[in-house]
Amino acid sequence: MAQAFAIIMGGGSSESLSVLTEVRSEPAVPFGGKFRLIDFPLSNCVNSEIYNVSILTQYRPQSLNNHIGIGKPWDLDRASGGLRLLQPYRGGPLGDWQQGNADAVRRNLDFVERQPEEHVLILAGDHIYLMDYRPMLRQHIQTGADATVGVRRVNIYETHRYGIVSLSGDDRILDFQEKPRRARETMASMGIYIFRKSVLTELLQNENYVDFGRHVLPAMVESDRALYGYTFPGYWADVGTVQAYWEANMSLLAEEPALDLYNPEWIVHTRSEERAPAKIGPHAQVGGNLLSNGCQVNGSVERSVLSPGVYIAEGAIVRNSIILSDTVIESGAVIDRAIIDKGVTIGQNTLVGSGDDNTPNKELPEQLNTGLTVVGKGTTLPDNLTIGRNVIIHPYTDAKAFSRRKNIASGTNFGKSMR
Amino acid sequence: MSSYKTIAMLLAGGAGTRLTVLSEERAKPAVPFAGKFRIIDFTLSNCVNSGIYTVGVLTQYLPHSLNEHIGIGKPWDLDRSRGGVRMLHPYQGRQGQQWYGGTADAIAQNMNFVDDNRADTVLVLSGDHIYKMDYQPMIEYHRERGADLTVAVMPVSLEETNRFGIMQVDDHQRIVQFHEKPKDRDKGNLASMGIYIFNTHSLQKRLNENSPETPRLDFGQHVIPAMLAAGDNVFAYKYEGYWVDVGTIDSYWSTNLALLQPNPALDLYSDHWPIHTKSEERPAAKIGPQAKIVSSMISNGCIVRGLVTNSILSPGVYVSPGAVVKDSVVMNDTWIGPGALLDKVVIDKQAVIGAGAVVGTGDEAVANALMPDKLFAGITVVGKNAYIPERTQIGRNVLINSGREERDYPADKLVADGKTV
Repeated sequence: MAQAFAIIMGGGSSESLSVLTEVRSEPAVPFGGKFRLIDFPLSNCVNSEIYNVSILTQYRPQSLNNHIGIGKPWDLDRASGGLRLLQPYRGGPLGDWQQGNADAVRRNLDFVERQPEEHVLILAGDHIYLMDYRPMLRQHIQTGADATVGVRRVNIYETHRYGIVSLSGDDRILDFQEKPRRARETMASMGIYIFRKSVLTELLQNENYVDFGRHVLPAMVESDRALYGYTFPGYWADVGTVQAYWEANMSLLAEEPALDLYNPEWIVHTRSEERAPAKIGPHAQVGGNLLSNGCQVNGSVERSVLSPGVYIAEGAIVRNSIILSDTVIESGAVIDRAIIDKGVTIGQNTLVGSGDDNTPNKELPEQLNTGLTVVGKGTTLPDNLTIGRNVIIHPYTDAKAFSRRKNIASGTNFGKSMR
Repeated sequence: MSSYKTIAMLLAGGAGTRLTVLSEERAKPAVPFAGKFRIIDFTLSNCVNSGIYTVGVLTQYLPHSLNEHIGIGKPWDLDRSRGGVRMLHPYQGRQGQQWYGGTADAIAQNMNFVDDNRADTVLVLSGDHIYKMDYQPMIEYHRERGADLTVAVMPVSLEETNRFGIMQVDDHQRIVQFHEKPKDRDKGNLASMGIYIFNTHSLQKRLNENSPETPRLDFGQHVIPAMLAAGDNVFAYKYEGYWVDVGTIDSYWSTNLALLQPNPALDLYSDHWPIHTKSEERPAAKIGPQAKIVSSMISNGCIVRGLVTNSILSPGVYVSPGAVVKDSVVMNDTWIGPGALLDKVVIDKQAVIGAGAVVGTGDEAVANALMPDKLFAGITVVGKNAYIPERTQIGRNVLINSGREERDYPADKLVADGKTV
């Protein structure tokens, strides 16, 4: 039996993923065609021989619950250990809504205490990476640490997005700054923590500790606890913004992508759908893409990632885009630099991501400003519509809602937000 | 309502020798089809989609691939505590070893499975046909007529009648004559599809009559003629849909490639009658920037960097830059080297085609010398794990056996039409 059990944070609502998280929690967001974000930490756990895994849910958990089921694709339907979904509940001294990730764990402390393992591995549910947790666990045990934080070097211009640490020569964490406006260091916390269970329980007695990054870790540094960093050298992407999500998907199209999904030694397990192989028509052009099973491509697709069951009619053009499951794109439509959610129908000759106007989005100017347009799940776009850049079309918008509009200007939104 | 219970008995023991190396290491129903499926997925899915959840799969010939594929039946929803799928292998009883002596004998040796499930109706199916069919209407038809046996039949062209069991029926669809692979063309054109619905009681009675003088080992040769002679209620049920026996290399190849039409007769993309299979865990197919794909099916896990036209690739196939794959069926994890050319080829799993090799060049009219009756349509077949050395030229109707290595090839790297390696 492993010496740690895992808790994966599955409750995030992440507004910076816009329409993708209007209908589902962040870990349930699809990635790379057929995967979902949670497949990465889950698969890392089972591939690291950690078979006692719990997922904390709160925000819009239906897609996640459906995807996880009883844990079979990850070999986690077991009599001892296995997969557990921990939902919000009422009753008892701890029951109530979760206010943050540390708070979420606190509300399940009774569960935590009952586990036989001595250490707790806490994982964010929204990062893309392939990691064996065993070396980190070994270092944690050998150093006698109270807690160990997985850290990784990040781009100096991105440090404001992460918790930044300073490490001593023997890997002790000397300083911890959550999302600093300016940082001298570039070692970022990956949101992967291993706690000695007794220490975690003790710390979480303090109800003011609502978030690990903002409260728990700084407090541990302050009180000089044995807090260590474990440096991870591999590919790791936080896909918590529309731009980062798009870039991570696109990077899979490289000749030798940094994220190697083809390694039989480290398989990313997922709940596979049963679909026939992708079918390419006689006049299709499909250079430079990821195509999932069930796709039928008769038009032109380049530099794009297609989830299962996408239908591209002859005469349609898709470029630099991410198209999620079962979306239908009719003839004459042109999709450029867009993220189209599941079950969307795009009418004939409709242009998504048209023109050169890169006005940032009115509601999310920090997130949508590079020209990416997003269309939410279940929307029907009528024929002959032109949609600019940095536009948000909310989920389940019916074609009739557009009535006689022919144009949706760059930077604007349409439809009703489901948040 | 009715307390009738139907059990399906799926005959999956066939060697399928006309498929040459494809069935050399696996039973015919386990042969891959349409990229990610196996032939048996169609019959198995038909059962569960028809609401029949107790299925016996009778194996005999090389069942390992089949066992692996079926497992406990989960992809077809057949891992159940009541009913579900059961693999029925030949076994030794008190009378010593008894391999199955024929289609009826296989069922006879497993009637205990039928009885244990208290089934009053037995649906006998073969595991090597491609078709989508709801069996319930045929079961109702069988019960309404009080039949002892109902045989599903379909019209075939007169030229083909010598390959099938041909039925002649009266105005009430009762079968009055039955001819197994008749040489004369005047027996009509209603062919047996190898789908039989028996009353358990009637079936058991006939099977019990088995003796050296009155054999009951094969349905077509013995049991059905015996039932007709004894005046049992035997009816024909007409089926008019897509149904193909992919038992020869050329029908296997052409049935696969027919799926590449814009509106193929067999639709694998609608939810209406899903074909379940044991899926492999592979990432989405990756198409390189210089790749060109026309009218083809590409499974998950493939990496395509060359040109693929009118072909079907199973999971994990790698097509190098500059390679050309045309009119071919390529199975799992085969590696096709840079600049290689494949034309009208069927390749089994895990083969390696060396750089610059040309497979399928030459005269289609020259049949294979050793197996002229099996390889004559211009298709070259490459067995599992075979290696084709760089710059080798291989002709038409050639058979490359499984596991071939560099030393098995002629020094001049030329394998002429109709040869075998």
